[in-house]
Amino acid sequence: MRNGPDDEDLLAALRAALRARAEVPPEHVAAVKDVYAWHAIDVELAQLTFDSSREPDAVAATRSESASIRALTFTSTHLTIEVEVASDSLIGQVIPPQEGDLEVQARDGVTATVPVDGIGCFCVEPIPPGPFRLRYRNQLNTDVMTGWITL
Amino acid sequence: MRDDPSVVELVTRAAGYDQDAWNELVERYVPLVWAICARYRLSSHDIEDVSQTVWLLLLEQLRKLRDPAALPGWLATTTRHECLRMLRASARYDLSDRYLDYIDDAALEEEVITAERNAALRAALDELPPRCKQLLMLLISEPPRSYAEISSVLQLRVGSIGPQRARCLDRLRRSRHLVTFIDGAGNGAPARIPEGEPHA
Repeated sequence: MRNGPDDEDLLAALRAALRARAEVPPEHVAAVKDVYAWHAIDVELAQLTFDSSREPDAVAATRSESASIRALTFTSTHLTIEVEVASDSLIGQVIPPQEGDLEVQARDGVTATVPVDGIGCFCVEPIPPGPFRLRYRNQLNTDVMTGWITL
Repeated sequence: MRDDPSVVELVTRAAGYDQDAWNELVERYVPLVWAICARYRLSSHDIEDVSQTVWLLLLEQLRKLRDPAALPGWLATTTRHECLRMLRASARYDLSDRYLDYIDDAALEEEVITAERNAALRAALDELPPRCKQLLMLLISEPPRSYAEISSVLQLRVGSIGPQRARCLDRLRRSRHLVTFIDGAGNGAPARIPEGEPHA
C-alpha cells in the first residue's frame, strides 16, 4: 500500500467534485426538479427580447419627456406579450390579439389572475412587489409563460 | 446497485414523462450551469433565475435535441447565452468590465469536461461501501481533519487509516463511472484521473 502523489490528486479531484455540487443551494436543486411539472403542461417559454431601460436611444428619448414608462417585450414562438410599467400597475397586450387569462406568479405561487380582452389587453394592479412571471392561457390551448421579471 | 443510465437514455426518458430521469439530469448537471453563471459573477439570486430559465428551455427542447449525447454542451452554451442576456437586461450590472469575463468556447468546453468528471466522481463515491465512503468524506472534509480525529470517528486505529485510504481510493479508481477518465483506459479520455500504480 502506498500513499503516492496520485492518491493526493484523486482526493483533490474528489474534493473539487463535492465542492462544485455543494455550491448549488439545495432549495435551487429542488426548484429545478420542480420545473419538470411544466413538462406535462407543455407550456411555452416567452423570453425577454426588449427592455426599454437597456436601450440607450429609448432612454435618451423618454428622459426628455415628463414620464418615462418602462416597456418590456416577451416573445415566444406563437405570440408576443408586451408590458408597460406604469406608476401603480402593469398594462400590457398579447399579440396577435386574443382573449384569455393572465396569471401573475410569484415565487410561492399564483398571486392573481386577470382577464385578457378581445384586443389582447390586460391590466395587473398593483405591481407585484417581488420577482414574478406572467402566464397567458386561452381556450385554444395556448399556454405561454414569461421568464422571471424583477422590476 | 445503482443503475447508471447514459445521458442519452436520461434525455429520452425525460422527454416522455419520467420525473426520476429529469431529477438525475438535474443532479448531474445543475453544478455545471451554476459554475458558468458564477464565472459571470451574477448575484446568487440572478444565478437562480438564469438557471431556472435554462432548465425551462431544456424542457422545451427535450424532444427536439438533435444530439442528446451533447446535452452538457447544449446546457453550457445556453447558460452562457442566458447569462449575457441577464447582464444586458439588468440595470444592476455595469457592462463595461463584465465583457472582459466573456467565456470563450474553449473555456466553456473545459467547464463541461470538469462537470462531467465531477459527476462521475460523485457517482463513483456514492457506490463505494459505506465505510469507504465515510473515510474518504472525512479525508477530504474542509477544514481538514487529523488522523486522530478520523480514528475516533471511525473507531479505526490510526495506523490502519493509511492502508484503508489506499484501498478505498483504489476501489474508487476502478469504478465503472471513472473508466473513461482513468489514464490509459480509452484513447483521448477528456480529463485524466491519476492512475494508482506506477507503470511496472
